[in-house]
Amino acid sequence: MSGVPSTGIELAVPPHPEFLQLVRAVIGAAAGAGARAGTGSGTGGESPLDPGRVADLRLVVSEAVTNAIEAQGVVGAPDRILVRCRVDDDQVLVEVVDHGPGFDPDAVPDLPDVETPERLRHESGLGVALMHRLADGAEVESGPDGTTVRLMIRPG
Amino acid sequence: MKFDVHRRDLDPSRASGGPVGIGDPGGVVLTVLGDLDMAGAPGLRQVVVTEVAGGARLVVLDLTAVDFVDSAGLGVVVGALRRLRAHDGDLLVVCPEPRIRRVFEMCDLDRVFTLHGDVDAAAVAAMDGRALA
Repeated sequence: MSGVPSTGIELAVPPHPEFLQLVRAVIGAAAGAGARAGTGSGTGGESPLDPGRVADLRLVVSEAVTNAIEAQGVVGAPDRILVRCRVDDDQVLVEVVDHGPGFDPDAVPDLPDVETPERLRHESGLGVALMHRLADGAEVESGPDGTTVRLMIRPG
Repeated sequence: MKFDVHRRDLDPSRASGGPVGIGDPGGVVLTVLGDLDMAGAPGLRQVVVTEVAGGARLVVLDLTAVDFVDSAGLGVVVGALRRLRAHDGDLLVVCPEPRIRRVFEMCDLDRVFTLHGDVDAAAVAAMDGRALA
């Protein structure tokens, strides 16, 4: 996956949970309903995703932005969180950029087996595992100045 | 739909399996509306904490009217189960919507919870569970 999508939409939202619904609605519309509505010929074209994959997209975006809000909350960073989305013929790319303290992506544990009691301790931390399960590509770049998550969703 | 949680007592007459829970003041149905995400999660968590503190031991969590759930929302559901079990209680989840069920399945939580089709089915299951206990 190459860097910043050059076309598409960009949102800059305050790092508060109340804005999650807005982000999901905008990204969902950009990748699904809005594109399918077909505003005619020209740039956008048909959405590559069926409604089920749009739902997956909304979910992984929600996870990424939730993590971003949490990360900035840890250090009280008021910066807006950037959400960029590009809809191509065969995929949708989303990038979420925060200004949190960063973390080691390799240190995030995978989910323990469901048969173990350990599983019920996971009231949080499911988000990264969900992103990897649902997205066709999930990259995390993290450093002391923040974290960038890139997600790619292809047709089911 | 705006996030909200409605509460009512588990009505035994609604269960087709018979007089479920009569004389059992600990049964409550919590109906969640809207999006169960990081914004809604604290509200549901608080309701569950309050109910358990008030003596509820059997909670039916009705997610039929939930439009969206993510891992922050699932975390509260898992937390509610743990809280109730710690008090020798139980949590039953009503979740007929395939889109919402899918999120449970993606986190393997469909193997932790039985996802019931409606509140009546959950009430019957609760009765069966108690009969066996």
